[in-house]
Amino acid sequence: MAGAGMKDIKRRMKSIEGTMQITKAMELVASSKLKRARERMEQAKPFFHILYDTMARMATGTRDFESAYVRPRPVKSSCYVIIGGDRGLAGGYNTNLLRVANAHMEGKDVKVLPIGRKVADYYAHRKVELVPYEKTAAEDIHLSDSFAIGRLLAKMYDRREIDEVFVIYTNFVTVLTHEPAVLKALPLHFEVGSDAKNGVGTVVYEPSVSGAFDMIIPQYLGGIVYGGVCESFACEQGARRMAMETANDNAQQMLDDLGLRYNRARQGAITQELTEIVAGAEALK
Amino acid sequence: MAAFHLQIVTPDGLKFDGDSEEIVVRTVSGDVGILAGHISYMAPIAVGELRVKRDGAFRSAAVSGGFVSTDGKETQIICTTCEWADEIDEERAKKARELAEQRLKEKLSARELSLAEAKLSRAINRLKVSAKR
Repeated sequence: MAGAGMKDIKRRMKSIEGTMQITKAMELVASSKLKRARERMEQAKPFFHILYDTMARMATGTRDFESAYVRPRPVKSSCYVIIGGDRGLAGGYNTNLLRVANAHMEGKDVKVLPIGRKVADYYAHRKVELVPYEKTAAEDIHLSDSFAIGRLLAKMYDRREIDEVFVIYTNFVTVLTHEPAVLKALPLHFEVGSDAKNGVGTVVYEPSVSGAFDMIIPQYLGGIVYGGVCESFACEQGARRMAMETANDNAQQMLDDLGLRYNRARQGAITQELTEIVAGAEALK
Repeated sequence: MAAFHLQIVTPDGLKFDGDSEEIVVRTVSGDVGILAGHISYMAPIAVGELRVKRDGAFRSAAVSGGFVSTDGKETQIICTTCEWADEIDEERAKKARELAEQRLKEKLSARELSLAEAKLSRAINRLKVSAKR
């Protein structure tokens, strides 16, 4: 019976409208969060890049391997700081990040310091040793937390619990393009040959090589983590806004299609009723 | 006077990006002056005053944490906070100093003690620098 078809279609349209309200609200929330996250990221960007470039440049001028932070050593255990999202529904944001992370970690003895609830949940169920930090939500990681993480990593490196530190985060290229990136943070050993032109002569450290690095490294790690968190958080919001925009468009498309089908079904029902009435009247003749 | 390129960055943004003739920065081992052509040098900086000379005049800033690095042409100061003397909120610094002083009178764990001491030294530094504006 065509009437029942109409009811079904109506019900589906109602449910899609409901979903659309949610996705619309999420898009608005993500948009406003993205705005703030981008401002924070733009502010932190020069800090992040200049910090990393300076350390890289200075490390090329370090001929004195007195400090453990610059001396490469056999790697037994690698530590990965993986910065991801707190929630899903952000398109491929978390999936892409974890794919890159897993590919990079393959075959290594790793410890993971997760930032972002999704990342923490993901690794909680895998055979990976986790480095505990009191907060996991990317949204709650502020500057002071980043420095605390930096100190924690430096301490672990110093105690030889870890021999390498990588930071995996998502790079905010443009609003539409986000790329997961792997950054090697420790040990500070950069190819000297690659940019010999930019390399510096022998660097003088005060109070001493190891004294300087002992103080600088925790701050450097903290700064890198903070920069990664700022970029990643902006990416998460951007990815969610995009995903929700697409969801809205799809919902609208489905509603339009269903609207057409509904009208057609209603027209069909009326036509059928008319035919029945006419046929009934004919029969009475 | 020969100038060199100076960048001062904090997590809140690029604070300074331009030429300077001389800077005096408080490192953990004392005040260090940097002129153009300085040898490659790197040192952690303490809570203290940073003075930047530009067009013959010095400008003061209160900085905390981080490090200074130079190769004679490019100098970077990467720090946790940096405020020019005229940007410092004196009222806030005074309040912070009082709070930290009170806190230091209480019984504290080693970690709390070092936090309170760090707060106090930052507040005193801000007040000292802002008095020079």
